[in-house]
Amino acid sequence: MSALQIIISAVLAVLVLAGISMMSKVRTAVAGNLLSAFAMLCGIVGTLFFAGVVSVWTIYVSILIGALIGSLLAARVQMIQMPQTVALFNGLGGGASALVGLLSVHGDSAFVRFTALLAVAVGMVTLVGSLIAAGKLHRILPQKPVVWKGHALCTLLFLVLTLAFVVAGTFAHGAGLTVCLVGAFVSASLFGLWFSLRVGGADMPITISLLNSLSGVAGSIAGMAIGDVFLVAVGGIVGASGLLLTQIMCRAMNRKLMSILTGGTMKPSNPTPAIEENENEELVQRIMDLEKKIKELEAMVADLEARVQALDGQLNAAPAPAPVAAPVEEAPTAASVLSKAKDVIIVPGYGMALAQAQHQVRQLADKLESRGARVRFAIHPVAGRMPGHMNVLLAEADVDYEKLYEMDAINDDFKNADAVVVIGANDVLNPAARNAVGTPIYGMPVLNVDQAPEVIVCNFDLKPGYAGVENPIYTREKGVYLELGDAKETLMRLMAGIA
Amino acid sequence: MIHPLILISVFIVSAVLGYFIIRTVPSLLHTPLMSGMNALSGVTIVGAIVATGVAFLAGDGLWAQLAGGLAIVLAAVNVFGGFGVTHRMLKMFDKKKK
Repeated sequence: MSALQIIISAVLAVLVLAGISMMSKVRTAVAGNLLSAFAMLCGIVGTLFFAGVVSVWTIYVSILIGALIGSLLAARVQMIQMPQTVALFNGLGGGASALVGLLSVHGDSAFVRFTALLAVAVGMVTLVGSLIAAGKLHRILPQKPVVWKGHALCTLLFLVLTLAFVVAGTFAHGAGLTVCLVGAFVSASLFGLWFSLRVGGADMPITISLLNSLSGVAGSIAGMAIGDVFLVAVGGIVGASGLLLTQIMCRAMNRKLMSILTGGTMKPSNPTPAIEENENEELVQRIMDLEKKIKELEAMVADLEARVQALDGQLNAAPAPAPVAAPVEEAPTAASVLSKAKDVIIVPGYGMALAQAQHQVRQLADKLESRGARVRFAIHPVAGRMPGHMNVLLAEADVDYEKLYEMDAINDDFKNADAVVVIGANDVLNPAARNAVGTPIYGMPVLNVDQAPEVIVCNFDLKPGYAGVENPIYTREKGVYLELGDAKETLMRLMAGIA
Repeated sequence: MIHPLILISVFIVSAVLGYFIIRTVPSLLHTPLMSGMNALSGVTIVGAIVATGVAFLAGDGLWAQLAGGLAIVLAAVNVFGGFGVTHRMLKMFDKKKK
């Protein structure tokens, strides 16, 4: 029976892989997803028979409850909430793996005990980490990295404790094993809490990918504990995919995975020497206050500028009946630039997601296209809060996916574009990444927005992005139009301005 | 019981295969890919079913059965929810094409 089980598991695992490879093309992706789901269904039915548990009625009740909750959530959730939804589901999978480990920990062999304890540990890290990540993405928890006293040390301590309990439990029996189980459970949960609280908003794409990978690994280890080949195989596939995405995200941000986990999370360096701290403290405080005031003033000026520009736009729009022949001598506005542009690139960022402005963005693109312009979208790999975040939002707004370009595919075209419209993006187009040595974004590949002749920035404000580095584009003398405020409103204004 | 070495090699082989196949997925589809993978990670439902069934048939204490039942519920939410949202997203990408 065991041989047959292995063969069937292998076939199902190949089906899953086939399903995934079909997900590399938009046209076959839907079928690929269904194929994976079908393979999973077969795996579940097969397990019922092979494990000889067909008669256990509680299984069906539990599946039904879970299926109902899951389907309801899947049908109800808005596209805008996708990152936290994925994180939440991910955590539940990890939690389930931990419970499987919990149930199979009292095995006869050291291998079973080891894998069961490890499944508990990895599963709990996944569960707690994912819940925190989901909380941050849902904006219940602070976006900024939370750093407690001795944070890095505690994180390391919990990790070491977890490993120690897992190893000790492998060779323990009876009460000793229970102690190790509880120890691994608690310390792994604390590790998950500590490490995920430390991660800030913009590092989320990396964290989610990593947790995704962990949930797969947890499942795989749980599969080893109960000796289920299918579970081991699929868990391995998921683990590898999450790791690959993590790698891609890290490369796109020029960050090292370790620095995100262990705490280098975009912490601004503090060069003030400790000895003169007392004397300098007051001065520093004053300077900081002044800086704050300057920023406030800057914001007010920017706001006024935006209003003036908006009014200009309306003025330009109002005398529309006048024949086009009369050339406008006024200084160009964002709307007038866009009215003339024939080749436009739109750069969306997390701000578009926050403002839920994807539909307005599409209307703008439609309007420009109806005037004969070519409109393309430049998508930075880490724009947003999860891999591919922008693509999903724009697809929701019915933007044809063939207009969405990856960074490498479009980066050389910025200098030839007539106009670039930035919507809620900052760090991913900050040219400081190329030359500002020592800043957190130094070395990160960015979109070449600064090479475009005309740049229209529809951001909420001019504050530096998550990385805390000023963006020199904002202060460029020519060809920059700042349309500040809620992206939905600024886009409406822009559209109204385009005659 | 299947030998541990077989299980470990299955893990390694599937991870390597998965890694190379997933590399072909363009960044355009990374979110659905991730959420699909996420649904797949709910495969741990298989483990939950085995553990619960064994506990039930062996007449283990109520807590074991409850824990198993909870594991199945969590994993089922993961599976159904994961495949559901993935399906919705992919259909969104595809609807423009005839």
